[in-house]
Amino acid sequence: MISIPVKLKKPADIEAFAHSLKNPEHTPARIVRVCIGTGCAAKGSRKLYELFLEAAKEHGENIRIEAKCVGCHGFCERGPIVVIEPGEIFYQQVEEPDVAEIFRETVLGGKILDRLLYEDAGTEKKARTEMEIPFYKVQHRIVLAGNGRIDPTKITDYIAEGGYSAIAKVLSSMTPEEVIKEIEVAGLRGRGGGGFPTARKWRSCREADGLPKYVICNGDEGDPGAFMDRSIMEGNPHSVIEGMLIGAYAIGSEHGYMYVRNEYPLAIEHLKTAISQAREMGLLGQNILNSSFSFDIRINRGGGAFVCGESTALMASLEGCTGEPRAKYVHTVESGLRGKPTNLNNVETWANVPQIINRGGKWFAGIGTEKSKGTKVFSLVGKVLNTGLVEVPMGLTLRRIIDEIGGGMRDGKRFKAVQTGGPSGGCIPSENLDTRVDFEELTQLGSMMGSGGMIVMDEDTCMVRVARYFTEFLQKESCGKCTPCREGISQMLYILDRITDAEGQVGDIERLEELAELLEGTALCALGKTAANPVISTIRYFRDEYDAHIRDRRCPAKECRGLFRYEIDEEACKACGICLKNCPVNAITGEKKVPHVIDQDKCTLCGMCWEKCPFTAVLKI
Amino acid sequence: MPLHCRLKNIKKGKPVPTVTIDGRKVRVKKDATVLDAANKADIWIPTLCYHPALSPDAACRLCMVELDRGEWRQLITACNYPVRKDIVVYVSSERAKMARRGVMELLLARAPESEELKALAARIGVKETRYPTVTESQRNCILCGLCVKVCEEIIGQSAIGFTGRGVERTVAAPFRQPSEDCIGCGACVAVCPVGTIKMRIHKSEQEVEISPFKSRVKLLVCEECGEPVVSMQVNERVLGMVKGNIEDFLKHWRLCPKCRRSRTAARFQEVTGCEKD
Ligand SMILES: Cc1cc2nc3c(=O)[nH]c(=O)nc-3n(C[C@H](O)[C@H](O)[C@H](O)COP(=O)(O)O)c2cc1C
Ligand code: SF4
Ligand code: FES
Repeated sequence: MISIPVKLKKPADIEAFAHSLKNPEHTPARIVRVCIGTGCAAKGSRKLYELFLEAAKEHGENIRIEAKCVGCHGFCERGPIVVIEPGEIFYQQVEEPDVAEIFRETVLGGKILDRLLYEDAGTEKKARTEMEIPFYKVQHRIVLAGNGRIDPTKITDYIAEGGYSAIAKVLSSMTPEEVIKEIEVAGLRGRGGGGFPTARKWRSCREADGLPKYVICNGDEGDPGAFMDRSIMEGNPHSVIEGMLIGAYAIGSEHGYMYVRNEYPLAIEHLKTAISQAREMGLLGQNILNSSFSFDIRINRGGGAFVCGESTALMASLEGCTGEPRAKYVHTVESGLRGKPTNLNNVETWANVPQIINRGGKWFAGIGTEKSKGTKVFSLVGKVLNTGLVEVPMGLTLRRIIDEIGGGMRDGKRFKAVQTGGPSGGCIPSENLDTRVDFEELTQLGSMMGSGGMIVMDEDTCMVRVARYFTEFLQKESCGKCTPCREGISQMLYILDRITDAEGQVGDIERLEELAELLEGTALCALGKTAANPVISTIRYFRDEYDAHIRDRRCPAKECRGLFRYEIDEEACKACGICLKNCPVNAITGEKKVPHVIDQDKCTLCGMCWEKCPFTAVLKI
Repeated sequence: MPLHCRLKNIKKGKPVPTVTIDGRKVRVKKDATVLDAANKADIWIPTLCYHPALSPDAACRLCMVELDRGEWRQLITACNYPVRKDIVVYVSSERAKMARRGVMELLLARAPESEELKALAARIGVKETRYPTVTESQRNCILCGLCVKVCEEIIGQSAIGFTGRGVERTVAAPFRQPSEDCIGCGACVAVCPVGTIKMRIHKSEQEVEISPFKSRVKLLVCEECGEPVVSMQVNERVLGMVKGNIEDFLKHWRLCPKCRRSRTAARFQEVTGCEKD
């Protein structure tokens, strides 16, 4: 292996260096790639890596074997994931005892261990490589392409895969305006939620008066359940750095910040390592690659609140103030951090940039829909068979994402809705499953792209409760600065609480709608302005469920306590007496061989009988 | 604005934008706010968290007006929207009125006992609120932030600040303890738009208390009649500001205004021999 090198002195050095890295003399014959993304690491993949490392060492020198750590593959549910080269053999759910066998049979012997391959639940076909697994087949990986391939702690890995060639190209042959043009041709839009055209933002910041100018990467990712940005920062930190370098060059900035959520220690560690390696090689700092362009990046840990991801709150937090939003009547590209022109982009936005420069804006614009280009990473969770991180071309339908990548619904349940866009997104019902996922289409459905959350819900989910859940999240995360958000969300939650507590009043839907309109029109920042989306979209598509709660005192999904009752199915009851013994209020009567009965007056709806019945004879009615 | 001034401004490269408010046209300096323009046009916009001496935060959201964006109209806060070009604004459009009333109803639910707030509500057509009180970590405080701002920006003490987030947000001294930094000046009492912050005089202890922050400061007591005059610390500060020949002044600084006046009157009598009527 080549040890860390050389300071790169001119743009052409990068290509030469990448070339030398690919020299067969330096490349190992066998590679074991162990995923150390957060999901796999939680299942003990670090230990697997150490075991492979040991095995490779013990084996000695006659075949060069390398064990390496790689970033998240996205299929965390099947982790820990180990991939063997050559052949790209994809092993899933690998455990410690498997290591010796994998090493002996596959790494040394070239034989495939069937039992560790992924098996398709429907066809029962085994998949040898990633590309044979339906979860990956429909995906199109641009920003996640390096994940699962490169060791995020080694700059050489990134360079060997073509990394930093984009900044070399920019510095040797492009003017800042040409860079912005290329991004414009690509049609890249912000992946942090708003979908704002990136080129337009860069240009406004470039043209704004005032120095210094700042470039910031938003790695706050506060949406519950989201881990898109985390996986990029952990799995391919150099791609974000390179994107920022290119952006800074185009904008005319020398100072960059990465604002990373404090709960992401591994991301911070990998970014720190990456930044210091880039500095050592002369890719960050003064006169990069001997050009007149200087740029460096500092890492800041997030303030811990969801609202700190909002652009102005983030900048306040960077300045050391409380992370609270302020009015944006004067845009941050004109007056942002410390009152200076500031360009903020999301992690995924930045990570797209090097690829666009390398492959051209036209190539990027060839992927996606008319107004939404490229791909988007989603975290697909909920009641689908396969969950995880997926990157798909814009314009893929929700149905294909759910059925083909997600593998359809779990436990044979019926699909009810998919929630997209994070806490202030909306719920989309089955009638709209053929919608093509892009910024405009999702907004039109009353939801949004957001940062890429996608939660699939089945028939057992009460939509009023879903609305209540997100409203509660937002109520807790409201910074409390402005009246409509602080007071309005609380009032909405109060109404939702009474609906799900069987105390809904006629007129509550209208009251919710009125509050929603007030929030949208008058709140200070986007948190408050969009906070009513979960409520409004569920009212729009599932109004009958609200009505059932309020008028009929019935929860159709049977989730809301007090809005359904338990009854024992006479036919199914085997009179085993288990429910009777478990009922804490002695509401159940029955004798041997006589079907048991619940006394509805005594029943407190605790659900104990429902849980305990071995014959599923207790029903929710 | 007279034509020659306008021309002068244009020559200096400073455009003087026109703001059309409910059909009335006024010209304001660039970066003046819509509220400034409305004041100039003699059009009233209700405000709560705005004070001309303080930087605007636009937190209360009561001053909502509609801005004409051509294809659509956007609700904006008048107190901090900077005028940078000719714009058209509607203060009394139905949507703007409804927005202000909606915000007011939420505020009323939070501060149901404030007479000041009720009066302002009545003035914009809100008789009562339909909402129950659901957030009240600090009763009758609408969290406008004026007290925090005046203490920081004008007095320079930052004795109080916001603590807690969202519905838990309150104004308090650090750790919710009486503040060491409070000088008992009462600026917060003066700016509080809903009359929630009060100054209490504890005569027997010769102390002033700023409620609800619980901070207490020793009072200067009139050496003649024993009535409280002002907080000791404010007095010290003011003394530090007085310049020039202050000997005469120093003779009287421990007096309340009433006693000072009667002492002056007595001297006047001594000198002139006239009775003051
Ligand atoms: C409440 C709130 C939270 C946000 N959180 C994030 C976040 O965690 N990450 C992010 O990239 N953008 C977040 N945003 C969006 C940012 O304000 C900003 O629009 C984005 O970072 C701009 O980058 P882009 O143009 O590349 O999308 C948030 C916005 C709001 C209103
Ligand atoms: S909308 Fe909510 S989060 Fe945004 S400033 Fe207002 S209170 Fe804070
Ligand atoms: S007065 Fe404008 S927001 Fe409070």
